[in-house]
Amino acid sequence: MVVVENTPEIHNLVVCTLCSCYPWPVLGLPPVWYKSAPYRSRAVIDPRVVLREFGLELANDVEVRVWDSTAEVRYLVLPERPAGSERLNEEQLAAVITRDSMIGVAKVKLP
Amino acid sequence: MNGIHDMGGMHGMGPIEYEKDEPVFYHDWEARTYALSLALRLGGQFNLDAARNAIEQLPPADYLRMSYYEKWFIRLMNYAILNGAVTAAEMETGKPAPGSARAIPGLVADMVHGMIAGGASARHNVRIKPAFAAGQHVRARNMNPAGHTRLQRWRVCFPRHASAFPGRQTSACVFSTVRCARIVGW
Repeated sequence: MVVVENTPEIHNLVVCTLCSCYPWPVLGLPPVWYKSAPYRSRAVIDPRVVLREFGLELANDVEVRVWDSTAEVRYLVLPERPAGSERLNEEQLAAVITRDSMIGVAKVKLP
Repeated sequence: MNGIHDMGGMHGMGPIEYEKDEPVFYHDWEARTYALSLALRLGGQFNLDAARNAIEQLPPADYLRMSYYEKWFIRLMNYAILNGAVTAAEMETGKPAPGSARAIPGLVADMVHGMIAGGASARHNVRIKPAFAAGQHVRARNMNPAGHTRLQRWRVCFPRHASAFPGRQTSACVFSTVRCARIVGW
């Protein structure tokens, strides 16, 4: 498994265009949309529009990297630490992280 | 295989339908299909790439029409019959015939966790020296074997983008159980 880190300059997005490869041991079974034709077809050619449909608007100067995990390597996105979370410990951070943020279709927000 | 499953970069598939807090399984038969499929795979009846290949062999119209677990179910039925685990007649009636094949030892719940955690790796130790180093740019060759391959069409169509992944993935992402999809130097 390869962990790809989001930064203010780089946003990572995971897809499997050929089937539905996904980091089962960490995230469990994938949601239907991840396995669907619309996501698999468009994530590699139109990632910014796809992210917008998930409600994630990225600035134009943010580089989007799409990881097509179609074989034995699985990718997991390490999301950016949300602003204001500096004092949270590991357990508190684990409570706010989401599956979608580890696929790359969302950012982590504090409640 | 140059099939409908290789859909990266295609248009016209419609909107992405996001569902908040969706269930893992929508129907009991989906969970049963999942469990039976893993039981067959972990029992050595078929491996990961054979499983992928079986789905890729579906006619394109069926592939697009069927749900994820409908595809799994068709594959499960086909493999169970193909490997002699059940007969077509048993599948039809839902009842085992006298003297039908049994898994020995039978798969029981206590065995499952260890099998999933430790088994089902598709890794093979082969004595082939890697042709490329980690991080090296490569260009995918435009070849379309009829059998199973993990070479995506977008890597062929957009070669410069194909080079944007680390070499660590190179050996894993472009291979075939039937015929190798070769990659050539950049």
